[in-house]
Amino acid sequence: MFAYVVRRIIATIPVMAVVALFVFSLLFIAPGDPAAVIAGDQATPEQIERIRQSLGLDRPFLVQFSEWVWRLLHFDLGRSIFTNLPVTTMIAQRIEPTLSLTLITLVLSVIVAVPIGVLAAWKAGSFVDRAIMGFAVFGFSVPVFVIGYLLAYFFALELEWLPVQGYTPFAHGFVPWLENLILPSIALGCVYIALIARITRATMLEVLQQDYIRTARAKGLAQTPILFIHALKNASVPIVTVIGIGIALLIGGAVVTESVFAIPGLGRLTVDAILRRDYPVIQGIVLLFSFVYVLVNLGVDLIYTLIDPRIRY
Amino acid sequence: MPAVATPALPDLWPPVKIRRGFLGFLRRHPTVAIGSALLIVMIAIALFAPYLGTVDPTTLNTARRTRAPSADFWFGTDMLGRDIYSRVMYGARVSLTVGFSVAICASLIGLAIGLISGMLRFADGFIMRIMDGLMSIPPILLAIALMALTRGSIGNVILAITIAEIPRVSRLVRGVVLSLREQPYVDAAIAAGTRTPLIILRHILPNTLAPMTVQATYICASAMIIEAILSFIGAGVPPITPSWGNIMAEGRSLWQVKPFIVFFPAVFLSLTVLAVNLVGDGLRDALDPRMAKAL
Repeated sequence: MFAYVVRRIIATIPVMAVVALFVFSLLFIAPGDPAAVIAGDQATPEQIERIRQSLGLDRPFLVQFSEWVWRLLHFDLGRSIFTNLPVTTMIAQRIEPTLSLTLITLVLSVIVAVPIGVLAAWKAGSFVDRAIMGFAVFGFSVPVFVIGYLLAYFFALELEWLPVQGYTPFAHGFVPWLENLILPSIALGCVYIALIARITRATMLEVLQQDYIRTARAKGLAQTPILFIHALKNASVPIVTVIGIGIALLIGGAVVTESVFAIPGLGRLTVDAILRRDYPVIQGIVLLFSFVYVLVNLGVDLIYTLIDPRIRY
Repeated sequence: MPAVATPALPDLWPPVKIRRGFLGFLRRHPTVAIGSALLIVMIAIALFAPYLGTVDPTTLNTARRTRAPSADFWFGTDMLGRDIYSRVMYGARVSLTVGFSVAICASLIGLAIGLISGMLRFADGFIMRIMDGLMSIPPILLAIALMALTRGSIGNVILAITIAEIPRVSRLVRGVVLSLREQPYVDAAIAAGTRTPLIILRHILPNTLAPMTVQATYICASAMIIEAILSFIGAGVPPITPSWGNIMAEGRSLWQVKPFIVFFPAVFLSLTVLAVNLVGDGLRDALDPRMAKAL
C-alpha cells in the first residue's frame, strides 16, 4: 500500500514535466512572432523588442527553459506584462471566488448526480429513466454560458430570488456568499451532473445484474440498502474516476461562468489577460489548473485503494 | 342486423418485421433521425445563408442600434446596428466549419498517433507519457493559451481545438489497437506471413473505425462549444466574423436589457450541438450494442 502510494506520486512527476515543457514551448511553436502578437497592432519595434526580452525570447530555448523551471520550483511564475505584478500575487488575489465556485459545484453535482443515476438504473427503461437520460443529453449539449444566462434571466431578473451577478467574499457572511454562488454553480454543474449521472447509471446497471444483488433481494433486504450499500459501493470505482476526470470540465467551465456572472476569480483574470495579451498570466493560470487537475486525479487513484480493497498494486 | 365477421385467428408466431436498409435504421434509432434532420437543417442554413432573406452580416448602421425583433429585423439588431438574423444564419458556417474540421483533423492525427503507439512497442511509453501530459491540461485552457499567442482567425481556432482534442483520440485508438493485436485473426495473419502494413490496413484499421466515428461526433460537438466559448471570451475568431460566440459576446454587456441579442445565437448553438450529440448517441448504440444497453 505504502509502496503503491509512493510509486503513484512519483508517476505524476513526468506528467507535470510534460505539462510544464508544453506550456513553455507554446511561445516557441506558436505560428508567427508571439512578441509581435502580444505587443498588439500599434506597437513600435522597440516595444516588440522589450516584450521579446521580458519573455526571454531572445535567448536559446534550453537556457530559458532551465531558468524558467528553476523559478517555477521556487513558486515564481514571472511577472505580468501589463501590471508588472508577480503572477503568483495576481493569482492569490483571485483564487477565493474560483475555489468557492468549483467546490460548491463539485459538492452540488455529486449530491444530485449520483442519486439520479442510481434512480435511472433502478427504474431502467421507465419514464423516469428516459427523463433523466434526456436531461443528460441536454446537459451535454447546452453550453454553460447559455444555461447561465437562462438561469440569471428567470431566477434573478424575472423572479428576483437571487442576485443577478457579482460575488461576496466568504468573510462577509455565509448567506450572501452562498446566494451569489447558487446560480453559477447550477449553470456550471449541468454538464458535470450529466456526465456523472450517465456513468453512475451505466455502472449500476452492470452491478445490479450480479449474483450478490439477487442474494440480497432473496434474503428480503429492502430496496434502499440494496441500491445504496450493496450496489453503489461496488459501482463506486468508475464513478469516482469520472468525478476526477470531470474536474477538467469544471475548470474550463469556470472561466466562462465567471464571465457570465461577473465573478472576480481566476476565470475573469484569464479573460482580462487574453484581452491584454498578458501571456505570463495565462501561462501561470494554465499551469496552476493543470497541476490541480493532476493532483485531483492522483487523489482519485489513492481513493481507489480505500473504496475497493480488491485493488492492490 | 349487422353481419358478424368471423374474427381472424391470431398467428401463433406473429411475423417479426425487421426493417432493413437506411429507413429501417432510422426507425430503430429515432434519436439519429431527429439529430440528423436537425443537423441537415443547420447545414442547409450554413450553405444557403445568402439566400435566406439575409443582408450583409457585417453592415453597420448606427441609426438602428439594438432594435427589438420585428418584421424587418426578425431577430433584432445588435449594438452596431447589424441584423442579428443575418449574423446568426451566417454564424452556422463558422460553427459547422470549426466542428467538422476539428472532428476530421483530430480523428486523423489521433488515429495515426494511436496506431503508431499501439503497433510500435518501443514508441508506446514515450508517446503515451506526452499524451498524459497534454490530457492534464483542461482542453479549454489549452485552446485559450494557444489562442493568446496567435492572431484570431478560424484557421487558428481549428488548430488550437484540434491540438486540445488529439490526446483523447489517440488514447482511444491505442486501446482498441492493443486489444485487436491479441485477436486470433491477427495471429493467423501474422502466421500466414502477411506484412505488418497490410495487417494494419486490413485487420486493425477497419475495426478502429466504429469507435472512432462515435468519438468524432463527440469531438465535433465539443469543438463547436469550445469555439463559442473562445469567441465569447474574446479569444476566438475576429469580432467582425459573424459567429454565434461573437454575437453573444457583443450582447453580453446588454443582456439584462436586450436579452434577445444573446438569446438567438444561444438557441442555434444549443440545437446544433444537441443534433450532433443525438447522432453520436445513436451511432454509438448502433455500432456498439453492448454500450447501447448500458448507456
